[in-house]
Amino acid sequence: METKTMIDYTHRQAGHCESGATSNLLRFYNQEISEPMAFGIGNGLYFSYIPFLKVQFAPMISFRNLPNTVFHRSMKYLGIDATVIKKFKDPKEAMLALDRNLEKGIPTGMQVGVFNLTFFPPEYRMHYNMHNMVCFGKEGNLYHISDTVMETAHVLTYEDLLRVRYAKGVFAPEGKMYWINSVNKELDIRTAVSMGIKKTVYEMIKVPFPLIGVKGLRWMGRDLKKWPKKHGPEKASFYLGQVLRMAEDFGTGGAGFRFIYGDFLKETGEMFNHSELLETSRMMGKTANRWREFTYIGARNCKNRSKPEEDYSMLGDMMIEIAGMEEQVYKKLDKIKL
Amino acid sequence: MEENSNPVYTDQRYGQSRELLYTYDKDGQFHRNVGYHGEPDRVILQQAWDHFGERIEDARQKVLAGKASPIAYYMEKLLADPLNLSMMVGMSLWRVKWHLRPAVFKRLNEKTLNKYAEVFNISVEQLKKVE
Repeated sequence: METKTMIDYTHRQAGHCESGATSNLLRFYNQEISEPMAFGIGNGLYFSYIPFLKVQFAPMISFRNLPNTVFHRSMKYLGIDATVIKKFKDPKEAMLALDRNLEKGIPTGMQVGVFNLTFFPPEYRMHYNMHNMVCFGKEGNLYHISDTVMETAHVLTYEDLLRVRYAKGVFAPEGKMYWINSVNKELDIRTAVSMGIKKTVYEMIKVPFPLIGVKGLRWMGRDLKKWPKKHGPEKASFYLGQVLRMAEDFGTGGAGFRFIYGDFLKETGEMFNHSELLETSRMMGKTANRWREFTYIGARNCKNRSKPEEDYSMLGDMMIEIAGMEEQVYKKLDKIKL
Repeated sequence: MEENSNPVYTDQRYGQSRELLYTYDKDGQFHRNVGYHGEPDRVILQQAWDHFGERIEDARQKVLAGKASPIAYYMEKLLADPLNLSMMVGMSLWRVKWHLRPAVFKRLNEKTLNKYAEVFNISVEQLKKVE
């Protein structure tokens, strides 16, 4: 039985997988929301450092919110009717639901694990279950997939898609899928932006828990200095590498997110003609460049392991400095009334 | 240090897939460029894969010396730790750790072995030996 359903869906490359998917899905419904915009409204910016939980043999560091926050929150704040199905018990049922959606002509987003993703470059295939992509067509056994990290659209077989949708481990996707039902003609972007910024500021500086947001960054900076003494140079180097991998890879990573957020602030500042937002965007841009510098120096440190103690204390100080810079931005954002 | 310390590389040598990268320059503009990740990225990725390779080789030696069960080797090959593996096979953590002992592994029944083999994507025969 040869069935073919293709939805007229444009694939655009983006920096962050989920905000890119959100932006592309909205574009399908004739709403031009750019990727930084979706990222900013949906609270893409986040940080948490959990030293006692080990992921891939190193402390857990996350630069993004729980999976699906960006899509869910941006839909909520923009007031769009969307559906999120958190999990399917039966994998076959999950695939059938996807088929039904495609027949109705609805492009559907999914949470997947990266480890078994066949079109992904092999060096990025680690156990990482918070990746997002959009399925927009089916041809017999093949599914057409738009992965915003990739330059072009790709195809996956039924078995491969099932495997990545049911990847196991931390934050297992369990067949999670989401789509947009209908979009009103006029979107109230101003309210959405205001709510989005408020929530981001809350998550970065106001959460009363020391491992989340700016406080988490500071904590990590302090820990970073202790690593060579506590774990020895080999392990310290690997841990530092893990920080950098999280800050650089996996869809631009944490350092890249600062650029996207800065771009979001700039875009909103221009949209509402707001000088303070433009200033915060400049501050954010500088912070982002400082992050890049941090990863650059850190990577050099990983490469030649001479004199580790000295370098680590310097990197730790740099991290704390970055945390201070970011705190300034969020404090300024907190005062802005939109 | 120059303003833009991590430029966008357009050279094929710096990776396999091109990504969309955001940059910020001195005049306060954000740019979107399609290019490869830079040198730092390759260093840290290489470091991770070296580390995994070492762990796999370590586990292989242990299994050949009879100090660990083949599950330990295949677990490392899957880049998993016992906690991760326990989630994948759907058993408790201590039970997975228990199965890492060679003596315990020999007594495992077919059903349990099948569960592991399915996760490792190999046959039960392959699971029993390490080349």
